[in-house]
Amino acid sequence: MHAEPMGTREAVIATRSLTKHYGNVHALVDLTLDVRAGEIFGFLGPNGAGKSTMIRTLLGFLHPTSGSATVLGLDVTTDSVEIRARTGYLPGGIALYDSLSGSDVLSYLNDLQGREAVRRDELCERLQMSPAVLRRRVRDYSRGMRQKIGVIQALQHDPELAILDEPTEGLDPLMQQAFYTLMDDLRAAGRTIFLSSHILSEVERICDQVAIIRSGHLMALQHVDELLARRKRKISLRWRGSAPDLSEVPGLADVVSKGDRIEATLLGEVAGFVRAIASPNLEDLTIEPARLEEAFMEYYAGDDASEEMRG
Amino acid sequence: MNVRLLAQTLRWNRLRLLAVGLAAFGWGALIPTVYVGFSDAFRQMVDSGILPEELLSFGSGNFFSVPGALTLGLEHPLAIAFVGIFAVGATVGAVAGERERGTLEVLLARPISRRELYATLMTAAVLLVGLVVAALLLGQVVGLAFQSLTSEVNLGWMPLVFLNGLLLWSAFAAFGMAASVSFDRHSPALGATMAFVLINYFLEILGSLWRDVQWSQQYSLFHYFQPGEILTGKADPFDFGVLILAVALPVIYALVVFPRRDLAAPS
Repeated sequence: MHAEPMGTREAVIATRSLTKHYGNVHALVDLTLDVRAGEIFGFLGPNGAGKSTMIRTLLGFLHPTSGSATVLGLDVTTDSVEIRARTGYLPGGIALYDSLSGSDVLSYLNDLQGREAVRRDELCERLQMSPAVLRRRVRDYSRGMRQKIGVIQALQHDPELAILDEPTEGLDPLMQQAFYTLMDDLRAAGRTIFLSSHILSEVERICDQVAIIRSGHLMALQHVDELLARRKRKISLRWRGSAPDLSEVPGLADVVSKGDRIEATLLGEVAGFVRAIASPNLEDLTIEPARLEEAFMEYYAGDDASEEMRG
Repeated sequence: MNVRLLAQTLRWNRLRLLAVGLAAFGWGALIPTVYVGFSDAFRQMVDSGILPEELLSFGSGNFFSVPGALTLGLEHPLAIAFVGIFAVGATVGAVAGERERGTLEVLLARPISRRELYATLMTAAVLLVGLVVAALLLGQVVGLAFQSLTSEVNLGWMPLVFLNGLLLWSAFAAFGMAASVSFDRHSPALGATMAFVLINYFLEILGSLWRDVQWSQQYSLFHYFQPGEILTGKADPFDFGVLILAVALPVIYALVVFPRRDLAAPS
């Protein structure tokens, strides 16, 4: 999928000990991360975790209390105008100019962007915003239509970096799929996407790397595959005859025997486990895939905020 | 300054400008007619001692001379309301209103600095205010011509009257913009600006009606708007200096404060 390993690519977004306080509220604390060129980076956390604060700091809406951040090699405090010239931004819960038509909103915002809207037609087609719909005033749009206009205005000028805050909020499942495909294509075209979300299945589906943030603190920063590889998987197997001794199988825990069925959890490599249980007595084997949700819940264990997250 | 943003801002205000401009023109044209119809009656009332002269004056204006009548027309609450629609209404909503609606997000996501945004919106406000003041004055000139009173004033001073009025209302517009960039919500910005305008107006009118507190007028920006003096060739550069300062201070404040503000997510 990628011509070179992501770790060797230049950092499109780089923060170093980035901290933002609002009085006594610590919205971001000592945040250090790199987003590499050509990757889709998921920024995960429930409402109030600091996702929007991070995005607004990257775009120069907020000034860091301490630490530093660069976007496309430019400093967020001194070069924010140039950063925004090369970036597409979808705000969370986007508000648009209700008195304008969808088409006029896109033209107006693109004129202010100062770059040709090279992707507008393609995006409108993929997100099913027909010319007839675009001629209607924004005030008559549903929430999903507004969100689609938001996505289009962020990407129509084909930015090097897109920063998307809750991009699929309000989109129906079909449009969510269209959006995911669009993200895949943008990644293939070498664009970098930084998206915040609290929809875990979405992040798992499209992101290469994920950061989990809790109360402004970075709890985890890993490639999605690596994060999932370290998750516990639920194992269920049916055995003919007496139950085998699984105590020596590496990574296996919580073993419970129920008649001819054995249930357990597996942490780590699947191949080693399969080799260990290979036997003519094995009748059935189910290994549930590791989910990002479990990784997330681990960081938010006992926290009410975890209930805000959706699979 | 961003020309595209300026054009769109003016376009959004065009219908309102047309309506207010026509009303201001009509009001301006009416003043010379009122002067012709009532000045003698007012003079007789004063001469007979029924009413003291102060009660038939309003700010720096009165109905005892053409320049006085034109001044009264420009300081009348109706004229204040016409110009205030843009000097107060449009300015306080320019940033705080966009912020409250959430549209400032998409605007500032473009490569526009906050100073550029401010300069563009302030320019739009001055243009809109200038057009309404021009409509008021144009109406007065047409009214004077209709009543054959053009020989009573030196119309060559009208551009200076326009400049004086533009500076006065630009000062209020600048205050409105300063309030707008300082608040996240429209209401406090509107409240602060309305209070500023009303206090200035109160001090001016109070001093004109009550001679014992005439000193209060020097603390009102309206006191430095003197069309009557200008039209009689007695323009005071100090008046213009005070108004220029009154424009400059909030502009400097906004240019310093706005770029340094944190713009948290709209609640």
